[in-house]
Amino acid sequence: MLLALVMVFTLAACGGGSGDGGGKNNSGSSSSPSSSSGNGGGGSAGDKPVTLRVLHWINEPVNKFMTDVFIPQFEQKYPNVKVEYTTVPSDDTYDQLMQTRINANDADIMAYRSAFVGAPQEWSPGAADPLWKQWADAGLIADLTNESFLSYYNQTDVENAVMYNGKAYGVNMGKVSFTGLYYNKEIFEKYNLQIPKTWDEFVNLLETLKSNGVTPLGFAGRDVWPFNLAVQGLQATIHDDQLEYIKGLWTGETKFTDPVAIEILEKAQVLMNYAHEGFMGLDYGTLPSVFASGQVAMVADGTWNAPTYASLNPDLKFGYFPIPGSNDPAKNANLAGKYDMTWMVVEKSPNKEWALKFLEEMSIPENYTAFVNAAGFLPNQDVKVESEFINEIMPYLGEFKLAWDQLFINRENVGQYASASSVHAEFLKPAGPIATAQELAALSQKDWDAAAPK
Amino acid sequence: MPPTWKRTEPAVLRDTEVYAMYPFGKGMARHLPFLLLMIPTALYVLFGFGPSLVTVVFSFTDATGIPGTEWHFIGWENYRTFFTASNADDQMKAIGRSLYFAFAVVLIQNAVALFVAVLLNRKLKGDVFYRATLFLPVVLGVTVSGLIWQLMFNPMGGPVQRILKMFGTSSNFFGSYEVAFDLIIFVQIWMYMSYSMTIFLAGLQSIPRDLYEAGYIDGAKGWTAFRHITYPMIAPAVTVNMLLSIIGALQTFDIIYVLTGGKFETSTLAWNVFAAAFGSTSADYGRASAIGMIQFVFVLIFAVTAMVYFRKREVEL
Repeated sequence: MLLALVMVFTLAACGGGSGDGGGKNNSGSSSSPSSSSGNGGGGSAGDKPVTLRVLHWINEPVNKFMTDVFIPQFEQKYPNVKVEYTTVPSDDTYDQLMQTRINANDADIMAYRSAFVGAPQEWSPGAADPLWKQWADAGLIADLTNESFLSYYNQTDVENAVMYNGKAYGVNMGKVSFTGLYYNKEIFEKYNLQIPKTWDEFVNLLETLKSNGVTPLGFAGRDVWPFNLAVQGLQATIHDDQLEYIKGLWTGETKFTDPVAIEILEKAQVLMNYAHEGFMGLDYGTLPSVFASGQVAMVADGTWNAPTYASLNPDLKFGYFPIPGSNDPAKNANLAGKYDMTWMVVEKSPNKEWALKFLEEMSIPENYTAFVNAAGFLPNQDVKVESEFINEIMPYLGEFKLAWDQLFINRENVGQYASASSVHAEFLKPAGPIATAQELAALSQKDWDAAAPK
Repeated sequence: MPPTWKRTEPAVLRDTEVYAMYPFGKGMARHLPFLLLMIPTALYVLFGFGPSLVTVVFSFTDATGIPGTEWHFIGWENYRTFFTASNADDQMKAIGRSLYFAFAVVLIQNAVALFVAVLLNRKLKGDVFYRATLFLPVVLGVTVSGLIWQLMFNPMGGPVQRILKMFGTSSNFFGSYEVAFDLIIFVQIWMYMSYSMTIFLAGLQSIPRDLYEAGYIDGAKGWTAFRHITYPMIAPAVTVNMLLSIIGALQTFDIIYVLTGGKFETSTLAWNVFAAAFGSTSADYGRASAIGMIQFVFVLIFAVTAMVYFRKREVEL
């Protein structure tokens, strides 16, 4: 009993105070075990071998670029540094990896899934702090405002993506768009189809394909979020102003049961009805092969995956267009998306100096251009992108808008019909148990109201 | 009346008797067993009991997984939130699913295990091979088992889907609100059935053969023999299996994590503990500890009830 009490107090001290676990060195590739503790680091300490631990999620083109091009180049420039690049699947697995590693102070650089969005605003009282904000407030991620390499990036992009309380807490590597559909150009040519500019045209297109025995749409429903990309495409083109609608949800001016929201759910149902059989059981990792093999004419995916499609089937001719949710071509004319990965430096890392050098190297326009070309991102620097794919969709990127999940701020402890990104078309038939959009909207509104701040 | 023998201790102990009474020797060496036992005890307290106690403490705080943040005692707030917050309904549904999971797994797994154990108990050719093969799922682990069944239940051309197509239906399997949870139960049973089976087998093999012979003479064969001879005699094995499966089933979250990630209404209480502490938007150790304590209460109730009931049955024999 006494021993247990001692345990409790020891662990309590660790949790309650400002201490951390101390720098644990992953001795995967470094030969010297104590290389990183204690050297406050001047440039001349560069002789000590250092293992730089970088965390990232699985995104094949980017991972390949890092391991085959950038990291060897960096290690050649700084021979004493060995970079340990860890990748895991990009869903909850990566979030948990970030959490456990930052907890154990076992990482130097981490990629964050998006820009620093979602901080509670004055109109969203009681909303929970997103993880990045909790880390920034706790001083766990480094303040990079005064770093010289930040000046390589466009000022607006830096302001939009990584600023918080007047400080820059990361380096954002580019934008992606995901509210469109990849389409198989050969299939479209075969049936004389044009890119649809309105919803009615789109439904006609789906019908034509279906009547010719071609499966029109592919979704990776099992992971749910890939299907949600298409729903966000509908939201971006049907709402006049997504942010105003979201604020309205908080103040009560707008509701989940409004006609505009019902329209989105009903159109999502239409999409599901034209999807391939078993789409709710298909996982995101298998989706590219379904499209690349020509089993479906169009898939919902983000522009980050274009390099994957290109490499899977070099003969595949594909393009991308925004899902036309409304019947107004002007509203359907633009893609929406988000700022994608943001590199953050772990503040308490013993290798912080080298982490900053890593980011500096990455930000040099030459290297940055190579990265952006490999990743298929829209650049945050003023550089020319080679990708034919990106250049083709440039017309849709005239006004880059943020998609729904970047704007939405959720209430704490909200029930499942309004949780996370809040619009859950996957509850509707044929994917889920609820028959009509009205029913689902009512349930969502009920959950939302129940979670209202007191 | 026959004389009663009184046990008297001899005045002088012979050598062999000394060794019998003090196996570790006399003097300081007598304390050796206790000192040796301190090692596993310390390990258990340090890595098992201690953290459990810390969970109790954390459930009354707002501790988070963000290192360096202060935490405070907030009393019963976490428990209140669990039962009265706006997503309390979802939590109650999760509890319902935990109980459904536990009942289904315990009953079906043990029934199948007992059946298979009875089959294997006879002298079959290759029975060692059967036992080894049947035990393989236990050895494979959660991740591999999850992968196997994801491939089997692949809705785009996987083996089970093809069989279903021959009957004219199809299913989304792990992406389906209707069957995902039942499929998870199936995989859980598949994984751990042979664990129970091995325990039953051990129990069966300790039943003396002459009981069956005596019963046979009285006309007890097959099912009657099972009901009146086999089943009562393996009561201790039944108790063990029931306890293990109840406690295990109420705490399972790993197979849910691997197969569906808690989506499609497959979340249980244990899953909610994991999601609250290590989820993608939450590092709330306080709340996770509170949910863990509530889960502990359930496990305690069921385990104690089961233990009392089954031990009584054992004793009655």
